[in-house]
Amino acid sequence: MPKALNRRVVFQPETYQGIQRGINLMADIVRPTLGPCPRNVAIERMSSIAAAELLDDGGTITRRIVQFADRDADMGAMLVRHLLWRLQEQVGDGTATAATLFQAVYNQGMHYVEAGGNAMQLRRHLEHGAQLILNELDSFTVRIAGKVKLAQLAESICHDHALATVLGEIFDIVGEHGHVDIRRAQGREIERHYVEGMFWESSTFSAHMFSDQHKLRMDLQNSAILISDLEITEARSLLPMLELATEAGVSTLVILASELSEASIALLLQASREPEKFQVVAVKTPGLGTLEQAEAMEDLAVLTGGRALLKAAGDALHKVAVEDFGHARRAWADKSYFGVVGGKGNARELRRHIANVRGLLDHTEDTHVRTRLLQRVGKLMGGSATLLLANSTDTENNVQEALARRTTAALRAALRDGVLLGSGRSLLLCRSKLQAMLSGSENPDERMADRILIKALEEPLRTIASNAGYDPGTIMVEVNRAAAGFGFDVRCGCVVDLAQAGIFDVAAAQKAAVYGAVAGAAHALTIDVLIHSKNPQYVAST
Amino acid sequence: MTNDLATLPAASVDSVLALAASPHFAHDRICFAAHESGLYRSDDGGSNWRGMYDSLQLTAPLTTTAVALSPEWETDLRVFAGVDGGMLRSMDGGAHWSITNMSAPPPLVSTVVVSPNFAADGIVISGTIEDGIFRSADRGSSWQPWNFGLLDLCVLVLAISPDFASDETLFAGTETGLFRSTNGGRAWREVNFPGEHAPVISLALSPTYATDGIVFAGTEAAGLFCSGDGGDTWRELGVDVRSGPVNAIVVSPQFARQPDVLVLLSSALLTSHDGGATWSDRPTGLNFEQEMSVLIAPQGIDQEAPLLIGCSDGGVFNSLHPS
Repeated sequence: MPKALNRRVVFQPETYQGIQRGINLMADIVRPTLGPCPRNVAIERMSSIAAAELLDDGGTITRRIVQFADRDADMGAMLVRHLLWRLQEQVGDGTATAATLFQAVYNQGMHYVEAGGNAMQLRRHLEHGAQLILNELDSFTVRIAGKVKLAQLAESICHDHALATVLGEIFDIVGEHGHVDIRRAQGREIERHYVEGMFWESSTFSAHMFSDQHKLRMDLQNSAILISDLEITEARSLLPMLELATEAGVSTLVILASELSEASIALLLQASREPEKFQVVAVKTPGLGTLEQAEAMEDLAVLTGGRALLKAAGDALHKVAVEDFGHARRAWADKSYFGVVGGKGNARELRRHIANVRGLLDHTEDTHVRTRLLQRVGKLMGGSATLLLANSTDTENNVQEALARRTTAALRAALRDGVLLGSGRSLLLCRSKLQAMLSGSENPDERMADRILIKALEEPLRTIASNAGYDPGTIMVEVNRAAAGFGFDVRCGCVVDLAQAGIFDVAAAQKAAVYGAVAGAAHALTIDVLIHSKNPQYVAST
Repeated sequence: MTNDLATLPAASVDSVLALAASPHFAHDRICFAAHESGLYRSDDGGSNWRGMYDSLQLTAPLTTTAVALSPEWETDLRVFAGVDGGMLRSMDGGAHWSITNMSAPPPLVSTVVVSPNFAADGIVISGTIEDGIFRSADRGSSWQPWNFGLLDLCVLVLAISPDFASDETLFAGTETGLFRSTNGGRAWREVNFPGEHAPVISLALSPTYATDGIVFAGTEAAGLFCSGDGGDTWRELGVDVRSGPVNAIVVSPQFARQPDVLVLLSSALLTSHDGGATWSDRPTGLNFEQEMSVLIAPQGIDQEAPLLIGCSDGGVFNSLHPS
């Protein structure tokens, strides 16, 4: 049957009811995960013999839900799903807060519109109110520093003390742009180590080039580096360049090339037969594909003060000049990686280069590209950290790896954009501004928008308290009575100085959650008609 | 063996590269001078000196580029001497030395500072000319490079916060800028110092840095700068300190109530009594014919307190006993 004939069209009031069912369904699924005492959500796997997946992260939970059988509700649920997915990708946190806010704004707004309110006007005032909240949150934002505070923040996100402690230390060292490699290890505890300098996935063309044949590793000191993506097929083409290097007093040389013939490898091994006099090793040009190779060569050239010889630009070995060589205090390679430490490039040029790559980062939305740029900035800044996760079952490994990645993204955002008082307190503090606006307005749509937002801002704290087993009403009264910097700590069950207790939220996540939820719910309130397939091909979750 | 500096080998210019004094200089009069020809010790406030590397039985002079004493000197007699190739450590006041390896290739140490909380944390930090910062957390037994965020590995000078135990703050002046660490030297961030005025060759922190955030930075050719917010913003000080390199800066131990600062230029010693706003020559009684390169003030900078001034010809002068 043609698709057009299989469509169902839904009008009011079923439209609002359907969307509300979907929003409530999705928000209720994610709601138990909010706060430091989250509940898990169990999701059946595709394979019926595998155990259910236990998740406490709103972003991942919603990603597992592809479609609901109730097609009207499904359209509402997908609005929430896309918001949470995007939040998780961008800031790594704030998904459950966004879901509760979305639900609260939509449900109140729907009642108002059903009672005769103007949806378009309400949307405008809700969006204006959201902007006001963002401005307030900006004014509350503080910087976070030090491994203790970072670890406290990490723990509030991942709820894993050991992981949080290590991540706190790592980010205290590598900073906002630092490169953190997350790997699974064989140990029983979470570990970390730091790698100095810049390194790439690559290796030598021949294992015979490793000076340490036991560890399969080579270390060259005060090394010259020929940076290229040339295909070296003729062994004799190497001779003028090797001669140039020795004449220039180079005693250790690294040649980067995209291809190297067997004869060329043999020639280089022969040239290194007296390594104390002259040693040369050839390493594959790092990077997958032309773009990544070009980026790696560019970084290496700036870092070492050399010039990249590009096949595409018509460069060739016979055109090499002494000043084309880069230089580093140390170059190393093992069977998986190639790296340089103490590149002798111009320090001012290096700063400009880092600023350029950071500039690209600020203008890129694509997650994959951002990750790659972030890696480059981190490594150019002087080193990388490797987080080694404890060895466990596959399921636990997957959960811990996902958790580490999520917490890493959130810590990065916290270092970049600061933090806010946690436990929903910063959102509550925004109510006074809205209250003032409410008092000063006579426009019914605006007044309703302010009322909706004031009530919605209480929802995260109510949910946090409820998830931890406390009565939300009682906790709300206690927090309202407390001074501005104080809030509810569910771990001890009392009102505490939040900054002193290290209870913070990532500012970027909170702001993105508020804006995304309010704007999304306001937009959803303007939907009057639904059109969807009557008989979807699949309705299961994956 | 006892050497007067005047009798040191004259074959090459034996510049004084660093000076260090005992924390109890007022009583023990002990000080060390790092020279191109080696390390020397004086037990009488700088009048007489003796070479400290006899136990190493060297066949050639070992240029010593940095020297620092433990704050617990009275009990541990620990001396750190930075040389071309690594760090020497003595635990008996300089009589015997052990060489502590840094990573290969051997670095040229340019500066070394010891944590004021050394008794508890055992931290020593050294800067090098090509390899950035090395940090030891075991009293100098082993060293690890920590260069996260240090975009210029040519470190010329280090300064450590008097409240290092709580704020873990250090500054590193380099060939092209100024960097700050707030985690004990394990990671560095460039501060907003005007980079065109680098190299930064001297640094000094207020004794009450934790509360006032005052940092002084001396440059090779662009004069003296001051920050009152821990290095976030900088202002240039006095035209009088723009003539040549600012080789050393010493801040009064009572800076909070008496904002005195001393600055050593190649050919003048200047003093300010208003935190660096105005400057005047400080008479020392010395007839400076050679360039002055190093200054320490082991008992403060009052007129009656001795200043030790090292010169490019190898002489070390005690301002109270000029000869």
